[in-house]
Amino acid sequence: MSGPDEVRLSFEADTRNIALTRTLAAAMAARADLPIDQLEDARLAVDEAVTQVIASAPAGAEVVCIMSAAPGELSITVSAPGTQEPSQSTFSWMVLSALVSSLDAHVADGRVTFMLLIERADVDA
Amino acid sequence: MTGSSSWTDERRAREHELLLRLSAITPADSSEYNAIRDELVTMHLPLVRHLARKYSDRGEPFEDLVQVGTVGLITALDRFDNERGTELASFAGPYITGEIRRHFRDKAWSVRIPRSLQELQGPLAAATEKLTRDLNRSPTVAELATALSVPEDVVLDAMEARHSYAASSLDEALEAGTLSLPSIDKALERIDERETLEPLLQALPERERLILTRRFFDEWSQRQIADELGISQMHVSRILARTLTHLRNELKDTRD
Repeated sequence: MSGPDEVRLSFEADTRNIALTRTLAAAMAARADLPIDQLEDARLAVDEAVTQVIASAPAGAEVVCIMSAAPGELSITVSAPGTQEPSQSTFSWMVLSALVSSLDAHVADGRVTFMLLIERADVDA
Repeated sequence: MTGSSSWTDERRAREHELLLRLSAITPADSSEYNAIRDELVTMHLPLVRHLARKYSDRGEPFEDLVQVGTVGLITALDRFDNERGTELASFAGPYITGEIRRHFRDKAWSVRIPRSLQELQGPLAAATEKLTRDLNRSPTVAELATALSVPEDVVLDAMEARHSYAASSLDEALEAGTLSLPSIDKALERIDERETLEPLLQALPERERLILTRRFFDEWSQRQIADELGISQMHVSRILARTLTHLRNELKDTRD
């Protein structure tokens, strides 16, 4: 495949849609050739991030989830309308940061965005 | 009515009498045995209904649950040893619950998961275990697909099926224990919801709390946790997902 292996999913901010993002995360983690324990971490992480943006988004808002797979690397961006900067001293943040290799969240242009990166832990192991 | 305590005493005396008569009868298939057993079953139907009610929001008809629960009650009666001094009700509880759980377990597989994916569960678990040992890490989906000679999509579907199965099935019995987990206290210092979270974590079954702590506070991998506890990594992942959802809901409830 040429270029980045990227999939974009957008949906209404409704918790029913979270399952879709878990399934997508698993599929993209497989494409990134992550071991299955990290694949499961990716499922948990996207679940956590999407739950957070949905919780603070107005009803009917659009959530956008972009996942990009490269060898040994999965990056996930989750965003939804919102104005509140995600706190780093919550249980949720702690969970997310344990699940991913790097985590960033910010508010820009009226949207809250979470950026997650999961790198294969055992490269060359 | 002369007050509930005398009614309870009367009932207990009757139960005791029936159990004595029951244990005196041989062979066990006589009509007298059946009559006594029937009366004991009827006496304990409220217990069955009470236990069945706990599972009534899981999509199975309540009467079905009462029926399978009653099977558990009868099994308990047949195995009950009157000499041991335990109450029949407390002896029968686990049998009744066990039968109801089994019902869900069988049902969850037969209704929700296509047979081909069901049949792949055993080989998938075995291949995961073998590859994990051989590679000294969790395998990738591609590696599992090669080992099982199926497309990667099928491996993903089987993994997904396992999740949906787990979500609709019931938890295994959990044992209480006395592990102290100092890393929780330390990590909680950084967390705003500390006061709400602490009792929630304390209330978790021990195994759940340990797995949660290892993954999120000690930052072990799922694979390392699986090794420590001697369970599959898939199981670790199911427990993490379930426990996180539980905590998230509880935290939300206290905020609302």
